[in-house]
Amino acid sequence: MPDPLLFQLKTLVVETLRLEDITPADIPDDEPLIGGGLSLDSIDALELVVRLEKEYGIKISSSEESRTALASIGSLAAYIREHAAADRLPA
Amino acid sequence: MNAPVLPVPAASVNAPPSPARRPRNPGPSWGFGFLQFLDRVLPECIYRPLRAAGTFVAMLGMHPQRRHSRAYLRVVLKREPTLREIFQHFFVFEEMLILKLRIAIGRPHHGRLAPGSDDFRHITDTNETALLGTFHFGHSDLTGFLFGGQEKRRVSLIRQRVENSDDTDDLAQRYAGWVSFIWVNAGENPLFAIKEAIASGSSVALTCDRIEFSARGEPFQFLGARRLLPFTIYHLAIIFQKPVLLSVGVPGKPGETIVHSSPAWRADPTLSRDENLASARAHFQAFLHLMEDLLRINPYWWFNFLELNPEVPDAC
Repeated sequence: MPDPLLFQLKTLVVETLRLEDITPADIPDDEPLIGGGLSLDSIDALELVVRLEKEYGIKISSSEESRTALASIGSLAAYIREHAAADRLPA
Repeated sequence: MNAPVLPVPAASVNAPPSPARRPRNPGPSWGFGFLQFLDRVLPECIYRPLRAAGTFVAMLGMHPQRRHSRAYLRVVLKREPTLREIFQHFFVFEEMLILKLRIAIGRPHHGRLAPGSDDFRHITDTNETALLGTFHFGHSDLTGFLFGGQEKRRVSLIRQRVENSDDTDDLAQRYAGWVSFIWVNAGENPLFAIKEAIASGSSVALTCDRIEFSARGEPFQFLGARRLLPFTIYHLAIIFQKPVLLSVGVPGKPGETIVHSSPAWRADPTLSRDENLASARAHFQAFLHLMEDLLRINPYWWFNFLELNPEVPDAC
């Protein structure tokens, strides 16, 4: 069964960054989010971080932390699981 | 419109970058101290001609900057500039430097808003956090310090750290508590430092004429061509839901800077991203026209001693 957090994060990436012609299913779990096939740049990363903070009640305050969190959807999910309150995560 | 996207800037938070990587201002490391010493011991009627002579000698030795000044003046004057005009460009810049050094050691200086700058006044009066777009133009270098020191508003200035920048260091010391810096060339992404500054209630001042450290640029009509200019400030405004104010400072009466400011631009939540960006482009373009009007009054006010912003063909 697919991980609901992974799907939720992929949907959030597509929605937040208004990625045209890309569906959540098109985003691999392990591909780099920034500088990878999605062609996201630092402004996209910032926008994504602001949205993630709002959505999951987390705080990503440095570029180093964001690099770790946004390395891929898989690492983002791991970061969210580690830092977000349980009631913010999908069941 | 497809906006050309520029590379991510190397950058930082308030820790200065290591000296080995910092660029330098032209001139020796003791230059600022020497200028301040002469300012203390010489009367202005002797010191000013001496500064002019020094500027002339410096200009002769600064080949790339002289070439870029010539190229810029050729565009703005619409003819080949004379050596005297190029010197004048350098001298206006030098006099701005002297003014900064004098203000840094306590000379009184006041900023006054030009007519039509009501939104700037409103934002300073209400202490709303804003994104302040500024330019290497006339007294603009002072507007961030005046915003902080005079209006008592906290502001983070986005700057490139250079090794011998005593003018900036001294001003920062004078306005400590109100003005802080985010260095763009310290090895980290400054966008997160901007995020933290805004979260802490500080306004953020970014220069909007040099493309080198801008995450996103777009073409605008400026100086007779479609040129690539930074556009990051509007993306930040949308992300953080903060207003954008563009401003330039020009000399007024002695001891005074007149600040020309744009109306505030705010993203409209009822519009789409594309519609908001279109309105942002119109806002930025209108201010570039104002700058061009000011350059017609004094072409030396834009301190452009680097290659002109690249032209972008219409098809892009």
